Amino acid sequence: MPSVAELIAALPEPAEMPEVAREAPMSPLLEAWSQRPVPVGRFRRLRMLGTLQAQIAAAYTFYWLRGWFKGADENKRLLAETNWRTAMRVLDSMSYLRGAVMKVGQTLANFPDVAPREFVETFEQLHFDAPPMHWSLLKEMVFNELADDPENVFASFENRAFAAASLGQVHAARLKSGEQVAVKIQYPGIARTIRQDIRNLMALMLPARLSRDWENAKEQLDDLRIRLERETDYERETAALQKCRALFREDDGIVVPQVFPEFSTGRVLTMERLGGVHLEEFLATNPSQELRNEFAKKILRSWYRMLFAGRVLYVDFHPGNFLFMDDGRLGVIDFGFMLEMDDTLWELMRKVDRPLTTGRRDDRLAAMKEWSWIGDDPADADRLRLSDEYADWSWRARYCGGPFDFGDEADFRRGVDLFTQMVRKRYTRSRPCTPSIARQLFGFRSILYRLKAKIDVAPIAEEEVRAAGWDRSDYAPPR
Amino acid sequence: MRVTAEAKNATRNQILNVAQKQFAQRGFEATTTRDIARAANIGVGTLFNYFPTKESIVDWLVGDACRQAAEAFSAESNNGGQSDAPPSDSATQIARPASLEEDLFSHIAATMRKLKPYRKYLPAALETSLSPLALDQPDGKPSLRATHLETVSRIMSQHGQHEALSAIALQLYWTLYTGVLAFWAKDSSPKQEDTLALLDQSLAMFVGWLSDSNHSKSASTAPKYTSGDER
Repeated sequence: MPSVAELIAALPEPAEMPEVAREAPMSPLLEAWSQRPVPVGRFRRLRMLGTLQAQIAAAYTFYWLRGWFKGADENKRLLAETNWRTAMRVLDSMSYLRGAVMKVGQTLANFPDVAPREFVETFEQLHFDAPPMHWSLLKEMVFNELADDPENVFASFENRAFAAASLGQVHAARLKSGEQVAVKIQYPGIARTIRQDIRNLMALMLPARLSRDWENAKEQLDDLRIRLERETDYERETAALQKCRALFREDDGIVVPQVFPEFSTGRVLTMERLGGVHLEEFLATNPSQELRNEFAKKILRSWYRMLFAGRVLYVDFHPGNFLFMDDGRLGVIDFGFMLEMDDTLWELMRKVDRPLTTGRRDDRLAAMKEWSWIGDDPADADRLRLSDEYADWSWRARYCGGPFDFGDEADFRRGVDLFTQMVRKRYTRSRPCTPSIARQLFGFRSILYRLKAKIDVAPIAEEEVRAAGWDRSDYAPPR
Repeated sequence: MRVTAEAKNATRNQILNVAQKQFAQRGFEATTTRDIARAANIGVGTLFNYFPTKESIVDWLVGDACRQAAEAFSAESNNGGQSDAPPSDSATQIARPASLEEDLFSHIAATMRKLKPYRKYLPAALETSLSPLALDQPDGKPSLRATHLETVSRIMSQHGQHEALSAIALQLYWTLYTGVLAFWAKDSSPKQEDTLALLDQSLAMFVGWLSDSNHSKSASTAPKYTSGDER
């Protein structure tokens, strides 16, 4: 009969974490915001689901057994390692989240306090494919949601998806009334799974709860969980589409698709199918600088119109969410991830408008102190300096006085480096919405970088900010 | 007085309709055979001539639904499988053939649509007519398990799986299928969407495992097992 020590020695070691190649700072960012492929190849990931719980149970069993023979400090190390490996397995099983995993990764990247740096960096580079829905499953989803089979609800319905949604897929169809539509269908049960998996992740990070940044991290992860849940609520997205569509006039040259509520539910969203191509295809036509700039202006205007007139931030600045139409119009699609401005955030936006308009450093410092809760403590001096440099990089296009070259690679890299420095030095503790705003900004800058756009931001900003109704008389330029 | 077959059918249908209403109003556990007989305006003894227990009522309802689903599938197969086939891909104008996973999913989903009115008291049938231990019925008709697996075998054959499934494969499939039904019976998610995800992932695992097993078999020199073989 072997002793317990011999049994422990005979236990297999938990599997090693997958190696992830480290790449230059630019490519993960651009890759992260590159066009999503239609999902393929899911059996390997699905096979993982069946064994995940067993692996987690085994990992903790091994830890418990080893812990009998270890000292207290070693126990802590083992627990941390077990948590880390388990978290990695939970993350790896979240294959359906794809874009949402990127969003979680960006949040966690702000908090090296609560996760090892290697974990965070690995997380940022993970890319997953969502499980595709075959025709039989799709048919049942439509039957459940719209009370009949797709071939009876629609005049025609394409069996192959033409685009991926972050938690489902999109099919072309035609209504019996003749309209060409895009039908977005969500993978069943995904909302609940997200909620549970993020709760699991937060539980795994509990050992870090004594850290001073834990409460803030928890708040931001909670905020993210709520927003991810919203993204799975297509009824909410329907309302956002209807609200934002009403913000644009025909002469804006910006189109938000019409939604068809009678063919939409919490899990199925039917909207007007716009023509046009995505960024990659548009760039492949070798468009003129003038055309690039025109589209860049429309992208900027769409952001500002929704923000100042709609009081909502379009967070998901992803190339797949914009359509470059043949007639020069810009199509804006996917309204799943929107940040509503509550009164507190709206007031902060109002205060940030001053340095954005004036470009003055003292205005910027005052705004940064308030936004990020930075005091006058000399210990915070470096944090304030770096925050100011980052804010200047973020806002310079608005107050530089003339066209700004968004295609300047050195400038883009500088922004990435500044943000990375802030993360590494743990200076990113601030409002819960900060990860969403950072994501939005880098998404926007990434698209305009790829467009090599050179546009004057200020006139568009000055036109659109009027809708906010703020009193800017003491700092804004005269009309 | 001789009761005609027609009258017998009418009484049987009346009992079935009344029983469903009683189950819906009181819940399956709380409903007694006396309740059903009273609501149907028949004596308990008469009821017992048709259905000795309330579980046998559920067995009949479930069995009838499963048979309808199997007959519909059989009819579609004979018509070239057009009804449930995916619509044409407009890019190619050719109907894309369904995969094995899709066809199995389609068959089970169609069965579940027929079973939907009886979802909440399906557990009663899972212990009797849908149980892995269920024998052929007293009237000599094959068990629901045998009927369902015959359809599954036909689907497999249409996808090139002409060899009989092994005893292990059959048991694994039946376990997954009845597991999904058991989950569905208690699924409180909106429109039981969690069951769709479970069915999708279960079939993906089963078909993937089957594919791996077939690859191993073709490479292996070990003797093959078929249903009925003893190890």
